[in-house]
Amino acid sequence: MVTILANGFVPESLAECLELKAKRSLTPYAGGTDLMIEEDRGGQYLFLHKIPELKRIREDDDNLYFGAACTFTELLESALAPAILKAALSRIAAPAIRNTGTIGGNIGNGSAKADSALIFFVTDSALKLSGSKGERLVPIQDFYLGRKKLDLQPDELISEVRMPKKWLSKYDYQKIGARKSLAISRLSFAGLFAEENGAITHCAVAFGAVSDVIIRRKDLDSLLIGKTIPDAKAAKSAYIKAYEEAIVPIRGRVSAEYRKETCLNLLKDFLNKMGI
Amino acid sequence: MKEISKSVRKKDHASKMSGGAKYVADWSADGALYGRLVRSPYARARVLDIHLPEMPEGCFAVDRRDVSGENRVHIVMDDTPVYAGETVEYIGDPVLMVVGHDEKETARLAKAVKVDYEELPAILNIRDYETVFFDYNYGKGDAQKAFAEADKVYEEEFQTGYQEQAYLETQGMIAQYRDGKMTVHGSMQCPYYVHGAIAKALGFTPDKVRVMQDTTGGGFGGKEAYPSILACQTAVAAYKAGGKPVRVIYDRREDMEFTSKRHPSLCTYKVAVKDGKVIAMDIDILFNSGGFTTLSAVVLQRGIIAASGVYNIPNLNVRGRAVKTNTVPTGAYRGFGAPQTFFAVETVMNHIAKDLGVEPLEFKKNHMAKQGDATSTSGKYHFPVPLPDMIEEVEKASGYYAKREEYRKPQTGRYRRGIGISLWFHGAGFTGSGERDFIKAVVKLHKFADGKVEVLVSQTDIGQGIKTTLSKIVANELNVPLDKVFCENPDTDHVPDSGPTVASRSLMTVGELLRRAAIKLRGQWVDGEEQMVEEHFKEPDFIIPFYIEKFRGDAYPTYAWAVAAVELKVDTLTGVHEVVGAWGSFDVGTSIDLNIVVGQMEGGFLQGLGYSSMEQMDTDAKGRIRNNSYSDYIIPTSVDVPNLQVIMHEEEYPDGPYGAKGAGELPLVGVPAAYISAMEQALNGVNLYHAPFSTEDTMKALREVL
Repeated sequence: MVTILANGFVPESLAECLELKAKRSLTPYAGGTDLMIEEDRGGQYLFLHKIPELKRIREDDDNLYFGAACTFTELLESALAPAILKAALSRIAAPAIRNTGTIGGNIGNGSAKADSALIFFVTDSALKLSGSKGERLVPIQDFYLGRKKLDLQPDELISEVRMPKKWLSKYDYQKIGARKSLAISRLSFAGLFAEENGAITHCAVAFGAVSDVIIRRKDLDSLLIGKTIPDAKAAKSAYIKAYEEAIVPIRGRVSAEYRKETCLNLLKDFLNKMGI
Repeated sequence: MKEISKSVRKKDHASKMSGGAKYVADWSADGALYGRLVRSPYARARVLDIHLPEMPEGCFAVDRRDVSGENRVHIVMDDTPVYAGETVEYIGDPVLMVVGHDEKETARLAKAVKVDYEELPAILNIRDYETVFFDYNYGKGDAQKAFAEADKVYEEEFQTGYQEQAYLETQGMIAQYRDGKMTVHGSMQCPYYVHGAIAKALGFTPDKVRVMQDTTGGGFGGKEAYPSILACQTAVAAYKAGGKPVRVIYDRREDMEFTSKRHPSLCTYKVAVKDGKVIAMDIDILFNSGGFTTLSAVVLQRGIIAASGVYNIPNLNVRGRAVKTNTVPTGAYRGFGAPQTFFAVETVMNHIAKDLGVEPLEFKKNHMAKQGDATSTSGKYHFPVPLPDMIEEVEKASGYYAKREEYRKPQTGRYRRGIGISLWFHGAGFTGSGERDFIKAVVKLHKFADGKVEVLVSQTDIGQGIKTTLSKIVANELNVPLDKVFCENPDTDHVPDSGPTVASRSLMTVGELLRRAAIKLRGQWVDGEEQMVEEHFKEPDFIIPFYIEKFRGDAYPTYAWAVAAVELKVDTLTGVHEVVGAWGSFDVGTSIDLNIVVGQMEGGFLQGLGYSSMEQMDTDAKGRIRNNSYSDYIIPTSVDVPNLQVIMHEEEYPDGPYGAKGAGELPLVGVPAAYISAMEQALNGVNLYHAPFSTEDTMKALREVL
């Protein structure tokens, strides 16, 4: 059943929700932590907090699935959410905001500073987009087209995040904010690494809050994948050099020079930690 | 612990915790008009013409032509116009106010106002100044001779930045003109300052102006002078509003960008050393005053008097100038000029000690003033200087010496540590003879027939608990339960002028007057009768008269003292610095309420840590302050300093109530010097010269030392 409010609609199922989204121009409102401060008094909203399909946390053999309207706190308290995700979520804002803010909202805001999105990038997660004509699954890296530009149709909603289970165990996460809590990322880094029988089976890094979109370069990481540790050590400087060229920071609250230097420091530190 | 120090439930606890306390924005807006200021987009320009949009019925604009008295806000020098004159002097200088029926309409109209400007060259950098608002000079001994005889002379330049008060409640004022009288109420520290300013701007006699303080959500100095400006603007609008109240309440961005903040400074220290001791200092201080003088004269006075720190320097020459730039006028913020000079003097002492191969704290101990010594202005430290004991207390809590020694060894690895310590005082109360010559405080106690006693003072409770502490003093002296004594928000129609709520003076000066008034009342007490007693300020007998033109004599009757250590952990990969621990010993004399005083010390200490590091604010190439929101102006939270420890040291002041002296400003003042000293140690012993010190600054320094 849909409750009608002066400023929007409260559907109770995904079907109702998508029907409304198809018919009207409504701003999806999950936790509201970004929308509240915009204070658009004439806004018309699609409230998402009563839709069970968007709140589910589940798994199958290969993947974890997080409903887009799961709050950061719900994920922090979930046994299924991996440590790398929790490391990032626990540094978001402060408890009050973590209690209402959602991953769907964090992604949908379209910012390269989104702390949960960084983890979805480095883990090569995909987004389930639900629309009136059906569903599609889009890798998160393809979903971000530019700053605040998303591959999302007017009738579509981000309904779920699908995260591959493989490669999650060995990770690094670093956030630099202006202070320890209630701080927007000025720079963030996440890395995953795996080796088997002396060979690197997986290496993935991502940089947040550096340029318009989170930086994730599988082509560069492939420089190390398949190599033995000694070979990777030999390739290290070329790998770092490649990222030095790939990271083109924009100037913001901190200078581009600082961002770049620190990104590379964190990358080198990650390699050190992984024995390279 | 003394009985009086035991903590009680604050007088305003229930109203604030229940949400019942009425702040200016809580007043009903029914029938009220909204005012919105139209401000200069240029750092300096001539105002050629003003084009108003079509104004709906009942809406209007006011500018300098509507000021019925003098277009000057009475602060110290009265150069700040109520509304801009022929020129605008900084980005944000108010040209006019648009008044409308609701917030939206008023915002729309304000946006539609077109002002023609002729842009003029502006001065944005303190180094480029042309106009010197105030130029003071004082000294003692023979600095010239001492420099000629010195073994070594050091010269260093120090810089400090803006600091925004970041009070929780923004500035706001409501004014209404009815029956020949202007009533103004709002968020403020000093109702009688506002009162005097309005009377002058409107050309009214004092009895035709009434000012009431609403419950105020923090001030820290930011509501000392600025409310006078806003109140004059609002009152001019109300005078034209046909009896309707006009309300002007700032949003955060307007408040952060256009209201006063701490003066940025540029201090040059020349120090002469002979036989391992500092024998002379030649100090040149520049404060960035912004576009108008507001409080700069008095901020500068306090700053230059503190320029030689807690040290007994026999030969001293101090010059201080407050210079004009076309930026937002700077003003009062907790510490009032002293944080800037204490940063410089403490840091230069550290650098000299390092150069001489002496542990800085030992070096400082060799120069510390003691009871009976002359002050910088040839007054006297009349009372014991408890620094040696306080250093012991901080050493015990922090393990300073052992850590200092350990972190001096070459450090490797990602994280580097450092610890620093600084020593400071804060002169208690007004500088010089201000109390005696200008303030002339009067307090009253009104005893009702039912035995209840009202404290009648113009002190404002801005979160520092003054309602509670003053009531405690009166209740204690009258020997009545605390709930028999009460203190309302001041109303100039109801309370005498006991002076402003500034300069860490309220408890010490007004509290002592109330204590004496209570003794008087006790002596005259008649059950069942309504009674009134009054008490006037009298300067203590021991004071060596202060002459401001020569900066000579006792600048303060006594001093509050502090020692603080800060330990940092610096991340060499990211430049992030983390406060591992912060320990302070604070002497404010007797604590009239321990919870309140400890809260004050912790809060001020934290503001000092912010001022040292993350509180970054600057003007851009056009002179605009861009850090105008809490996402761009970062203040520390408790998570940033989990280990902050406050020790209270009590050195009683005989002329303060039960031994109490100034407290409010003390904890912030000397913190940056301890912080930067810790940073220097973590960065391989490099010398640093400015605060706040950012993560980017750290990375820059690391590039040089690693």
